[in-house]
Amino acid sequence: MSTTMNVRSHERGLRHLLVLIGALVIALSVSGCATVPAYRRERVADRIMSFGADARVDLRLMKSFDAREGSTGGTGGAGGGCACK
Amino acid sequence: MRVQVTRWFPVPALVGALAMAWAPTCAAQDDPEDPAVATLARYFTGSDHVAVRSLMGDYTFTSHKDLSLAIHWNNERVTIPAIDAPIGSSEAIDAITTASRPISGNAFRDFAKVRNEFQGALSRRHVGLDYYVSTESDYLGQQIGARYDRDLSNQQFNLALGTSYGWDAIAPVADDDTQTAADTKTTLHWNAIATRVLTPSTLVRVGLEYNLVNGLQHNPYRNVYAGGTIVPEHHPDHRERRDLFVKLNQYLENRSSIKLSYRFYDDDWGIVSHEIGSKLSQYVTHGVFAQYQYRYYTQSDADFYRSVYTTIDGVGGYLTGDYRMAALSSHLFGVALNLDFGVLTADTAWLRRLRARMSYDRYFNSNNYSANILESGVDFRF
Repeated sequence: MSTTMNVRSHERGLRHLLVLIGALVIALSVSGCATVPAYRRERVADRIMSFGADARVDLRLMKSFDAREGSTGGTGGAGGGCACK
Repeated sequence: MRVQVTRWFPVPALVGALAMAWAPTCAAQDDPEDPAVATLARYFTGSDHVAVRSLMGDYTFTSHKDLSLAIHWNNERVTIPAIDAPIGSSEAIDAITTASRPISGNAFRDFAKVRNEFQGALSRRHVGLDYYVSTESDYLGQQIGARYDRDLSNQQFNLALGTSYGWDAIAPVADDDTQTAADTKTTLHWNAIATRVLTPSTLVRVGLEYNLVNGLQHNPYRNVYAGGTIVPEHHPDHRERRDLFVKLNQYLENRSSIKLSYRFYDDDWGIVSHEIGSKLSQYVTHGVFAQYQYRYYTQSDADFYRSVYTTIDGVGGYLTGDYRMAALSSHLFGVALNLDFGVLTADTAWLRRLRARMSYDRYFNSNNYSANILESGVDFRF
């Protein structure tokens, strides 16, 4: 029974993973859109638009959720560059 | 040639890396998101009366060669309350049997444990390396990580790749009703994160994360009622965890921003979860902004989770008393106030370098559990 359960979970997991990768590829393809020049990025560089500042707060919250929920992830600690850090 | 790698091997490696980082003259830290010195006090208390007090510190130095060193430490004290039932009563026996804390001798006393965490991260331009260690009386966790990111399309698109490997040593302390032997757990993590400037007012981030976990993954102190008796909790020792998240930050006209996020997660234990989040940030005046947050989370149960196990074999040999393995949903509401004294007071030199943040979060889930989280922190830039 355990083997059957694991195989079913694994197949389901692989299917989900393929969907995830497909979604990421679509998102990456968006990079072909029009360029926003550096002198027009004042707003996206504002502190209230930062991903970086949120990442620290989210990481602490995620640690608390880890002990109370069955999933994890989504803090996006890596990343950055350009005006979007 | 054979090189013996001990579990403390990364420590000398980190010391060497620190020495490299210190060799050049340390320069001022200009990145507003990387304060030179930061301290934070955090207090978490749940409806089960478990309390966690955290004191954190962050130090960041950047050399003239773009070499950046970040150090993070955290001292945490976790207090789990004594069993709250008359001695010898069936409620007390149930509570002791299914407790997630070690009980040796007197169960009617609070149990407290201290955790110390340290993280050192070294980065230069697009490459970063880090080492993390966490110690407590029955747990030693260590992790090494690396990341690389690259700007593309005139710096409006950034692709980051990261990986880490964690290895934990678990040595359960004495417990009257369980005898779990010392064990280990390893975690291999990969992530790919893409960030893009969509419009002059819109940022989007998409990320994919993968974790492969092997080793002890259940609570070594917890028993489960099954087939009319009690047996130790037992989870599979292999788990593949995957998630995809999308975040959208939109600047609004009235000096505010809205941040929306969605995360999809699944693993090979059968848990599938969805999370949506929103955060509104609004400038109250120059240098002061308030934030309002809401998060909704829902998950399905693990394949081997049952509210009642009819046999001691559970489901495929696995049994759990962990409510995280059950279907559940939760809500989080939060408010925060951020002050930048550099904008508020331009006269006092040292005050100009100061930032403060205070926040309160209220969490509750469908297991009739709720928690309060208070944070108060100060950043000081040299």
